Parts: sequence; structure tokens; C-alpha cells
Amino acid sequence: MRVLLMSGLALGLLAGGAAQAQTPSFPSSGAFGHIDDEAAQRGLAVYQGVCASCHSLNQLHYRDLAGIGLDTAQIAGLANAVKLATGQPATPDDVFKAPAAMSMGGAVPPDLSSIVAQRRDGTRYIYRFLTGFAPAPAGVTMLPGHYYNRAYPGGQVAMPPVLRDNAVTYADGTKATQAQEAADVAEFLTWASDPNLTARHVLGIRAGIFFAFLTLVALATKRRIWKQEG
Amino acid sequence: MQSEAKQGVACPYLIKDRAPGGAWHATLPTLLGALLALLLASGAVLAVYYNPRDAYGAVQMINREVNGGWLVLGYHNTGASLAFLALYAQLFRLLLTRGYRGPARFAWMLWVKLLAVLLLSGWLGFVLQGGAGGALSLTHASDAALTLPGFPGAVALWIFGGPSGPGTLARLLVFHVLLAACPVWVICWARCAARRARPAPEGRAVAFWPVYASQYFAALAALALFFTLLLAFAPHWGQSAQAMLPGDVLPMVISYPWYLQPVAHLAGLIPGDGGAILVVILAAATLYALPWLDRSNGAPPGRLYRGLTLLLGLDVLALGWASAPVLQIIFGIWFFIHFLVLTPLVTAAEAK
Repeated sequence: MRVLLMSGLALGLLAGGAAQAQTPSFPSSGAFGHIDDEAAQRGLAVYQGVCASCHSLNQLHYRDLAGIGLDTAQIAGLANAVKLATGQPATPDDVFKAPAAMSMGGAVPPDLSSIVAQRRDGTRYIYRFLTGFAPAPAGVTMLPGHYYNRAYPGGQVAMPPVLRDNAVTYADGTKATQAQEAADVAEFLTWASDPNLTARHVLGIRAGIFFAFLTLVALATKRRIWKQEG
Repeated sequence: MQSEAKQGVACPYLIKDRAPGGAWHATLPTLLGALLALLLASGAVLAVYYNPRDAYGAVQMINREVNGGWLVLGYHNTGASLAFLALYAQLFRLLLTRGYRGPARFAWMLWVKLLAVLLLSGWLGFVLQGGAGGALSLTHASDAALTLPGFPGAVALWIFGGPSGPGTLARLLVFHVLLAACPVWVICWARCAARRARPAPEGRAVAFWPVYASQYFAALAALALFFTLLLAFAPHWGQSAQAMLPGDVLPMVISYPWYLQPVAHLAGLIPGDGGAILVVILAAATLYALPWLDRSNGAPPGRLYRGLTLLLGLDVLALGWASAPVLQIIFGIWFFIHFLVLTPLVTAAEAK
């Protein structure tokens, strides 16, 4: 079994290397990256329409969606459409409604609040994972209830492929291809994991410029004083 | 602003006893002090919101819900990383220049104590985040500590209160806070010791203001720049994604932050949880005993000694990086060989 998993992992790494070339660049990646609000909002639609039936988002409240550019009325409308277990509609201060507890082939669907931070190179990983489902290569014996995925460590995952073309209809008219949906939900989950990403980068640029200037002035001052004293 | 030496006696804390041309590395202890002060201040804010009964949720809450919480968390996280960087750099410089001998011996022993306190505090901080690696590490540590016999076992029972459970982090939070206050004292103590150990300056002394103040200011500004860039663009530098997993996930291998990784790998030298504690105590004792292991009798460090010290630096880095157990054992054994075998031999040979 271990040999099987190892060979699956090796295959997955090889295939993952090939798929990496096609991974799109994300606005959120890199030192100066920022969350693309439009992409994240489309990603929210994908999460709500597809992912939310199995995966929770326990660390997020509906009100937090202001962070990807939704206004108060939109958030209130979105929350109001959700029926809580009590039968009441959700309010913006409620946590995202979690799906009923379930088990897929023995695996519990993980909470997605911090999934991007919990994986190495998380944003790209989510994209590669969601677009990585493929028929199992010859010679790979699949575990019962598992699906072959090029990006998943070991190659066999209990989650079925869920993203397909037109799985959701985008409000902004963007064509909902499978790759587009995967990229958008990856951007949305990047924001969910790190809601302060944009603020942090802006702060870094501003404070970085200030401290770079201050360092230069301080060094020049030091040189001058030491020259006088020496 | 040129002062006479006697003014230095009247006002010992304002007059530096270094001659002009002071090296930048002499600002390291001050930078470390500034980082520890930042850790204390940010830690005080975090402690207000922290909840040991739901550590992972509390950190998430600080990061997401508390106004500016992510920034304070970043100060604490990056501050810890850079404090260790400053301390490791200082220790390495003292090793390279044999700054642990003679009257500076007392200061060296304080630096080793500071290392022990910071490592313990750093480990507690890692565990208090409630991540997957931290939870498993705590289970190992409390299991090992409770098997200790006699007095050490009683102390361990007092600290952990039994096997790791829901209440353990509440206890450890107290010790994290208590330990946090120690480095401030130790660092002041070490500065006094180093100042007393240094020979009286020949010729005129130089005033702290503005000569050394300008150097400290420039060093602090550069630190602030480096700190900002790390905090903003690489907030989780040196930490694995595993730290973000909740504590109920059981990892195969614990990934520690970079500053604990060499110690964690060194601890694997003797198998078993009890062996790990023994190795760490032995390593600390070895560093502590370094002034006596050095047989140089005041000779300046030779080329061979400096080469070996550089090699030791690389060895410790490699020890942190290595994931293969065989490599960890080789690098770990080299650490002890360097201090217990090579240092006495080489320093004695170079003294002749």
C-alpha cells in the first residue's frame, strides 16, 4: 500500500509539474499582490453554489464580505437568503452556515477558512487541485470511493470532481469555464485565509518607503557626526 | 561633545567606553533589547484576547476580528523571528572572536541563559498557537516531562499539571508570560557584565550623545526597515504551512519555526522523549561550560579555530534544514564534537 501511495505521489508530482505551466497568475500572489475583488466575488458564487454543500467556512461571518467589495445591502440580502437551522434567516453577523456533518469515503471535508494558508503555495495548489482530476493512469489501483487527482499528495482523494463548465452563472457575465471557476474560487479562498493581504502589502510599501528614507538619513547623520568627532 | 574619562565615572550609563570607530555588531544587544520590548508590548495586547481553552480559534479571532489584531500578531511573530536571529548572530560572533573568555565569561554565561529562556519561551509561544504541530509537540513534551523521577518530575507536574489536556495551555500561558519578563532582566544584566568586563578605555572617552546615539538610531532604523519588509511581505517566513492547521489534525512530522528547528533535531539524538530532554540539557550545559573548555590562555583565535567555528555555524544551519534522521544525527553529533573534543584540542594547540 505504501509503495502504491508513494508511486502515486511521484506520479502526482510529475504530472503536477506539467500542470504548473498552465497555472494562471493570480493578482494576490507575489510581494505586491492584492485581492482582486471581482474575481473573489465570482469565487464566492462558486463557493456558495458548489463548495458550500460539503465544506464549512467557520471563521467567516457574512459581514466580512465587505472585504471583497460587497456593500451592506448586498451582504444583508445574501445573509437573508440563508435559512439557519433555527428556521430564521441569517443576519450579516452570523457565521457562514455550515453544511450538515458528513463523511466522503471516510474523509471529513475540511473547513475552508484557512485552507490556502494550510497548504504550501496555497492559492496555486487550490487551482491545481480543482483542475487536477483525471482518469487514473494505468497501473494505479484506486481505493474504493476515491478519485484520481494529479495535484493531491498520493494522487487519490475522497472528494469527487465537482467543478465543470457552467457549474454557476456569473452575475458579471464572465464565461464560467471550469478553469475560470477554479481560479476565482482560489482567489476567494486566498482572501478568506488572509483577509488582510491587501492592507498588509499596502502597509509594507508605505512603511517600507518611510523606513528606507529614515535609514538613509540616519546613516548620513551618523557618518557626519562620527567624522566631526573622529 | 568630547568628554573627559572622569565624566564617564560620574555618569556610567551615558558614556560609552568604546573608542570611535565602533563596529555595527556592537549594536546587536540593543537591537535584541528593542525586539524583546516589542515582544512584551505586543504580547500584552495578544494576552488580552487570547483564550487558552480554544487557542486556535483565539488566534483566528485576533487575526480576523480584532481591530489591528493581525498587525499585533505580526509584530509578535516577526519580532520572535528577528529576536532569535539577533541572539544567534550575537552568540556566533562571541564564538568567532572568543568573546566568552576571561572577564567576559560572566556575560557569556548570561547570553547562554538568555538563549535557554528564549528557546523555552519560543517553544511555549509555538505551542500556545494551538496549531497541529504545537499540539503534538506539547503531548510529547508533557509525556516526557512526567516520566522524570524525583524533583524534576515534581516540577514538571507543577508546570504541566498532568498529561496534555484542555487546561494545559492555560497553565503554559502563565509560564510564557513569566518567562517573557526574564529576558529583559537578563539582557540588562548582560550589558552591565559586558561593560564591566571591558578594559578601561585608553585616551579620551566619547560621549554617548550624539556619537553613539546616532549609530544606535541608524541601526534601529535599519532594523525597522527589515522588520517591516518581513512583516508585510513574508509574515510566515521560516514557518511551515502546518502551523496553520488546527490542533486536532495529527501531523506525521512536527514542523517547528526555523529558530526551534535545530534544537528539535538535536533533541532527536537520543531516542525517546526523555532522551530529547537530556540532549537539550546537555547542549545547554556544553555552551555554559565553554569558557572552561577553551584552553587558549588568552591567545587570540587562530585560523583553524575560526574555520571550525564557521563550520559549526554551517552545521547548526544544516541541522535545522535536514529532514533525514541520519543527517540530523550526524550534524547533531558534530555539534557536541566541536565543543567537547575539538575546542579543547585546537585552543590548547593554538596557545602553544
